[in-house]
Order: sequence, then structure tokens, then C-alpha cells
Amino acid sequence: MPDNLPRKPGDRVFRPRRIKRFHLKRVLGVPALFSIGYGDVGSSIYYALGVVALVALGATPIALGVAGVIYIFNALTYAEGSAMIPEGGGSASYARHAFNNLIGFISGWVLMLSYIATMAISAYTIPPYLSYFWPVLNNASISTVVAMGIIGFLMMINVLGVKESTRLNIFFIFVDVVTQVTIVVLGIVLILRVNPSVLVQNMFGEGNWPSTQNLVMGIALAALCFTGVESVSQHGQETRHPEKRMPQAYVLMIVVVLILFAGISIVALSAMTPQMLGDPVNGWARDPVAGIAANLPSQMLQDIFKPLVAILAASILLTATNAGLLGISRLTYNLSTNHQLPAALGRVHPRFRTPYMAIIIFCAIAIFMLAPGFTNPDFFADLGALYVFGSLLCFAFAHAAIISLRIKKSDMTRPFKLRWNINFKGKDLPVTAILGLLSNIGIWIVVMVTQPFSRWAGLGWMAGGLVIYFVYFLYRRFRKEHSNDWEIKLDKK
Amino acid sequence: MFKQILVPVAGTHADEETIRLACQLAKRDKGKVWVVSVVAIKRALPLDAEIQSEIKKAEEILDKVENIAEEEGGEVETDVLQAREVGPAIVDEAVERGVSLILMGISYKQRFGQFSLGNVVPYVLKNSPCPVILYQQSSVAK
Repeated sequence: MPDNLPRKPGDRVFRPRRIKRFHLKRVLGVPALFSIGYGDVGSSIYYALGVVALVALGATPIALGVAGVIYIFNALTYAEGSAMIPEGGGSASYARHAFNNLIGFISGWVLMLSYIATMAISAYTIPPYLSYFWPVLNNASISTVVAMGIIGFLMMINVLGVKESTRLNIFFIFVDVVTQVTIVVLGIVLILRVNPSVLVQNMFGEGNWPSTQNLVMGIALAALCFTGVESVSQHGQETRHPEKRMPQAYVLMIVVVLILFAGISIVALSAMTPQMLGDPVNGWARDPVAGIAANLPSQMLQDIFKPLVAILAASILLTATNAGLLGISRLTYNLSTNHQLPAALGRVHPRFRTPYMAIIIFCAIAIFMLAPGFTNPDFFADLGALYVFGSLLCFAFAHAAIISLRIKKSDMTRPFKLRWNINFKGKDLPVTAILGLLSNIGIWIVVMVTQPFSRWAGLGWMAGGLVIYFVYFLYRRFRKEHSNDWEIKLDKK
Repeated sequence: MFKQILVPVAGTHADEETIRLACQLAKRDKGKVWVVSVVAIKRALPLDAEIQSEIKKAEEILDKVENIAEEEGGEVETDVLQAREVGPAIVDEAVERGVSLILMGISYKQRFGQFSLGNVVPYVLKNSPCPVILYQQSSVAK
């Protein structure tokens, strides 16, 4: 048929696909899922402890404890959601099923903000740890350039599609868990047990307890520590028997993370004052775990743990930066495939088979976000607040979606159904999801009110996203109305 | 002896002769041949990403395979798989289907001046749950 003649419907040749849907090979089990989630959350202690101490001072363990309880609510909600809806997309997917495309988009869009902030803050924290080997990295400008270079490097290798080694990642995570456990045990035995009053003094002593506003802000920032729930949910489609394995991975993460983080924060405040822990210029705010290693009461232990922590921190943070990049890349592709973002953003490179546009654009935004680091070393607390703005909202959407699905689709199969429910008009509503929704929204409101940077940057990000969504929506509608083509919609099922 | 044979294909020159061999082996034992083309998805994309160019390529490869199988009079079923890595996907498929043989066509490749089997073949050889036959066309035949 010549190309210049107008097509008629009958000219289309319909060829059904060979198979109704290609098969996805699901390979991940609980250990792999745990390593994915822990790779995210385990890295956050390397910077979040300092960010929280900057604000919450001696109340840091309390802030982490409260945030840890909220983390349990979040993880349980994701456990039910991921078992019920085992597709990649996390809270954006739950929100789309529970509400509509627009809400799903908003949830995905704020999650993207969290991913970008995670990338920036993780990359920004690598140079301070490596300054053990190269002291010049303590310089704010140089470390900012290095952090930008790290993101640029990861952008390049992900556009090219260079494979990361899963085994190496699992190895580093295993060593990281062992090292953190060792530091906690050593800290308790050698510092806390010898002089328990140090911890009490550093937490409750004069000048060490924060104001109520700072305490609440500290709890909000402590949410930085408890990431990983979205990363695990994004791998739902690759997991064998996701209805069983994903809840198991979440429960394992809850146990390990809470024990380790409680221990690390207590040891940190036994080893140094909250002012030292939270000082980004002369203290250890940017590399708090290095601070713990440097304050162990034995030169031999310091000589072992200081370089070990430097290497582990750098590797885990690099993995976390890359995980943020992969997360945003997949999420962008999902959103553009579901016509919630322009298709151009999900464009796949014909040779490298990677979503190069999304990778390049969002890496550029992350690099831009690091610019204040040249002049203001405190700004990473603002980055942390920005991350919290996005993630709290995202978790709130997840809780709301789970509650909504209990009401609207109560007969949906729930391989992992949360216990402790209250009955509302004949529907079982999970108490943990209700508490999670209220606590996440409550803290989000506090962040919005008290943090001008994250308020305006976050709201600006959301406004920009909504503009893109509606402009694209109207563009697609206009194209459809004025198109001479008719299309057969293939049923994916 | 070989009732179910799994043949991974990748669109190389070796595919045609490999399929013919698989059909002959299966006919002898009144068996069946499964031919799979694996689309490897990079980690920057979700696993169910539909990369049209790759799927089209896989479909074309399997179209040719079906034509060859028809010529040989063999019973063949084809499938497109999407996975992160090709080797584990092949082994996994072999385990799921309970095949009695994996037959893979290889071409002569060199890396840094040394003959190389690549990454997929060694993985399958190491982890396969059943016998594996590697078939290489002679360089003269090419």
C-alpha cells in the first residue's frame, strides 16, 4: 500500500501476539529483597544520624524510636499492598488502584522528589567518609564537586546499561550489617557499660535537650533513616511468590533495622556529645558513623574501624545513590507508559535499551540540587527535609490507598492481610494503616509549617508536576479528537 | 531419551541448524521442542517494560524458527521471555518445564584473541538441571 494514500480502517493488518503475554522470569527471594531494602535503609544511618542530631540533639534516640514506630506502620502497609498488588510502582500503583490516575500520578511524582533527594544526599555524604583517606575532601567545594561527579558517573553507566554486580552488593550489605552490629556491641561494652551516666548526660543534660519544635522536626527528619519500603515494593514483579516473600522481607527489615538503629544511636550519644554529632563543619554530622569509630576507646579499634567504616560507608552510599537513580528511572517509565507523563520521558535508547531521557534529566536535577553545597554545608539538612516532604506524603498515600481498598474492594484477594482491624460499616480497616496515615500526615504538616525550604521547593515540585500532567492530558485529548486514525486497543490480558 | 528439549535462540547463524537438530532429536523420541527467545531488560527499566524493537526482533526470530520446524515436520512451541539476565532465565525455564535436554547453538567468537563462550553458555552449563548439548556450525559451512 503506497504511503501517500490515506489509510482506511480496513487497511490495518491485525496480527495477534504470539502469546498473550510474555513471561516474566521472577527470580528474587527473601534474601535478595532484604538486601535491596537494607541497601537503601542501611545506607541512611550513615547520614541521617547526623541530620537528626543537628536538630534533635540529645533526643536523637527518642526521635529515631518514634520514627521507627511509624516505620513499622509503613512497612506493614506496604507488606499488604505488595502482596495484593505485586507490580512495580509501589504507592503510585496502590493509589492508582484505590483512587484514580491523577492520585496515582501525584503519589508517584512526590516519590520521584524523594528519590532525587536521596540521590543527592547519599552522593553528598560519600566524600566526608572518604576524607579519611583524602583529607582534602573535607573542603565543602571539593566535596560538592566530587558528589556531583559521582552522580554524573552513575548517570553515564546507567545510560550505557552497565550491569551492577548483585553478589558484590549482597557482600557489602552483609559486611555492613556485621560491622554495625560489632560497633554497637563494642560501644555498649566499652563505653556505655563503663560509664552509663555519659549517655544520660548527653541526652538530658543542660543544653542537650531540644525545644518541642525541634524535637518534632527531629522525628520528621528521622524518617530519613527508615527508607527501603518503596525500593522493595518496586521489585514486586520480579519476586517469586510475592504474596509470601514480600511480607517476609518487610518483617525481617523491621526487626533488623530497628535493633541496629536503636543500638547505633545510643552508642553514638555515648561516644560523643550531641553538639559534636550534629555539627556539620567541625563535628560528625556528615559522617556520624565515622565519628563513632573515631571515638572508640582504644587506638587499635580506631585503627581497624575508621578505614573499614570509610570503605563500607562509601560503597553502601554509592549503592544507595544508584538505587535512587534506578528507582526514579523505573518510576518515570511506569508513569509515562500509563500516560501520566509525556512518552518522551520514558523513551528507551535504541542501542543501550535504557530510559536515557529520564536518567539524564533527573540526574541533572540532582546535581543542581547539590549546588548550595559550595557555600552552605548545612544545606544537607534542607535536602533531608525535602526528602521527608516527599516520602511522608508518599507513605500517606499508601496508607490511604490500603484503607480505601479495604472499603471499595473488600473482596480483593489479600495474601497478607493486616491484623488489628476496626470494623467500620461492615468493613475491616487496619489500625496500623490508620495510625500510619495520621502520623505521616501530621509530621508532614509540621515539616510544611516549620521548614520554608522544603515547603516551597516541595510545593513548587508538586505544582510543576500537576502542570505537566494536565498539559499532557489536554494534549492527548486534543490529539485524539483531531486524529483520523482509529486504533484497536489490544487487551493485555 | 529426549522427550522435551529446550532451545534458546538469539537470532544468530547457529539457530537454523540448532532447530533442525532439535526437531530431529525430538522426532526420534516422539518428543516436543520448546524454543525461547529471552529479552534481557536492564535494571533501569521495570521488568515488564515493553521494548517494541526487542519484542519485534524476538517475534521475527521465532517466526523463522516456526518455519524451519515446519520444514522438518517437528512439533515446536515458541515463547518470548523477559528477564534481567538470560542465563538464569534459561535455567529457570528448563526447571519449570522439566525438560530433558537444553540444546544451544553457539558461534565461534573470540575475546582478546581467545575463544569465548560468553556469559550465558557457561552459566547454563554450570547450573542446568539436565544435559546440555552445544552445537556449533563448522567455520567451513559458514
